[in-house]
Amino acid sequence: MNILTLLAITVSMLSFVATRLQAQDATPATSGRNKASPSNPAVGKATGEIAAAAKKFLATLDDAKRGRVVYDFTDDAQRRHWSNFPTTFVKRGGLRMGDLTQPQRDAAMALLAAALSPQGYEKTLQIVEGDEILRKTEGETIFGRDEYYISLLGQPSTIEPWMIQFGGHHLGLNVTLVGAQGTLAPSHTGAQPAIYELEGKTVRPLGRETEKAFALMNSLDEAQRKQATLRFQVRDLVLGPGRDGQTIQPEGIKGSDLTEVQREMLLDLASEWIGITHEAVGKAKIDEMKKDIAETWFAWSGPTDKAGTAYFRIQGPTVIIEYAPQRMDGDPTQHIHTIYRDPTNDYGAKWWKQ
Amino acid sequence: MVEAVTTTFRGLLLLTLLVFPPAVFGHRLDEYLQATLVVIEPDRVRLQINLTPGVTVAEQVLAQIDGDRDGAISRKEGAAYADLLKRDLIVRLHQQNVVLKLTGSDFPKPAELRAGLGIIQMELTSTLGLLAAGVHTLTFENRHQPTVSVYLFNAAKPKSGSVQITTQKRNQNQSAGEIEFTYERLRG
Repeated sequence: MNILTLLAITVSMLSFVATRLQAQDATPATSGRNKASPSNPAVGKATGEIAAAAKKFLATLDDAKRGRVVYDFTDDAQRRHWSNFPTTFVKRGGLRMGDLTQPQRDAAMALLAAALSPQGYEKTLQIVEGDEILRKTEGETIFGRDEYYISLLGQPSTIEPWMIQFGGHHLGLNVTLVGAQGTLAPSHTGAQPAIYELEGKTVRPLGRETEKAFALMNSLDEAQRKQATLRFQVRDLVLGPGRDGQTIQPEGIKGSDLTEVQREMLLDLASEWIGITHEAVGKAKIDEMKKDIAETWFAWSGPTDKAGTAYFRIQGPTVIIEYAPQRMDGDPTQHIHTIYRDPTNDYGAKWWKQ
Repeated sequence: MVEAVTTTFRGLLLLTLLVFPPAVFGHRLDEYLQATLVVIEPDRVRLQINLTPGVTVAEQVLAQIDGDRDGAISRKEGAAYADLLKRDLIVRLHQQNVVLKLTGSDFPKPAELRAGLGIIQMELTSTLGLLAAGVHTLTFENRHQPTVSVYLFNAAKPKSGSVQITTQKRNQNQSAGEIEFTYERLRG
């Protein structure tokens, strides 16, 4: 047994539960669909397609694996069981991709493709591929595309609430579907390396959000920039994994103080998170955000001369997005953490909570 | 037996750190993240504090918590650490020190802290009596473990419509800050 194997085993022994990090005001455990909520036919159609893909995935599994991948929808511990850490440090529930047969793995990825937009699916693959690069460059088995987990809460349904979770290092996607309603909140994306070469091409999993935020900040005039700038360091996500149920006072520049073009830029920037999910779900959320755009804030902390080196935050009545370059590695552009939340409806709770 | 396991564990952890240096893990290892969320309510202020020691400073933090070195954090030790933290916090309302009481805490297992994954959660509450209507200023300073710490300091968005946050200020590293807020008694 070589030293790396020994260490991998050691690290595996340190399988800790991320869910203890939760805030006290987290989502209530009780469930029951709120039938009075408004619905969206396009989302309803999408839910049907995603449920069909989920059933196909489940059909590829034997009873043992099916038992491990599906949790009760009321299982709040599993619902909150996501993290930015590698899976050897924070064990995820569900099935590990590396433990699936190729047909099972293909079906799992087909489910993910059904639940996400093409851009969101591509971003997800690029984050996973970045971790594979990390595995190859560092030679560590704790990273790589095999180390991602998939789980379901509840049975795939076009009526009853259910949820898909897919995550691992720098990725925690939580897709909740309740009939004709759906949400991706809360979800975490990250990247390390955030810029890499693959088959002769430069890949930046979070490149669009990085560039769009930089463009928005640089579109502000001096007075606007003064409003947007937080004059202190923000070294990490304020509402990252484990901060369910908490909301902070918004800061920065308010949407009402932006021009129409800048508001569009802000929405376009937010769509990099909101649009990860199925187009119908994403459109419904963007439409909701548009209504609140005057009450949506944009804040920036850090340099304005190079994209990807500063923290920024978008915060509106129903959305919180944070982007935090991690400075402990030297080059902050190579290691990014982000979070997307809906302070009014994380996990779609308002649709199913009693 | 426990000591042997602990020694082995520490040895393996050290080995892990040697083979997987901080840049490889790419996560905060040599810093102590102290994130404070200030919840202001009409009759009290709650500080929700999350403390996350990185793996290379965890022993330093644990040394302050696990006083009897038995590898577990007892309720008494947790309370003692909360007292230690409280002594390092300066919280004032209108320049008057407020008295903080520990109203909630959660300590992860020491092994989790040593792995850099545990978050110590504490809630410290100051009961104010009913605030007078008008403008109020709360100041905060955190002097706990300053040489290794990274700080976040934020006002929570008030749930009560009677409290409005008007201004937040911080120093450069967020170890100190000020929250100005208004309180208005809502009718009916």
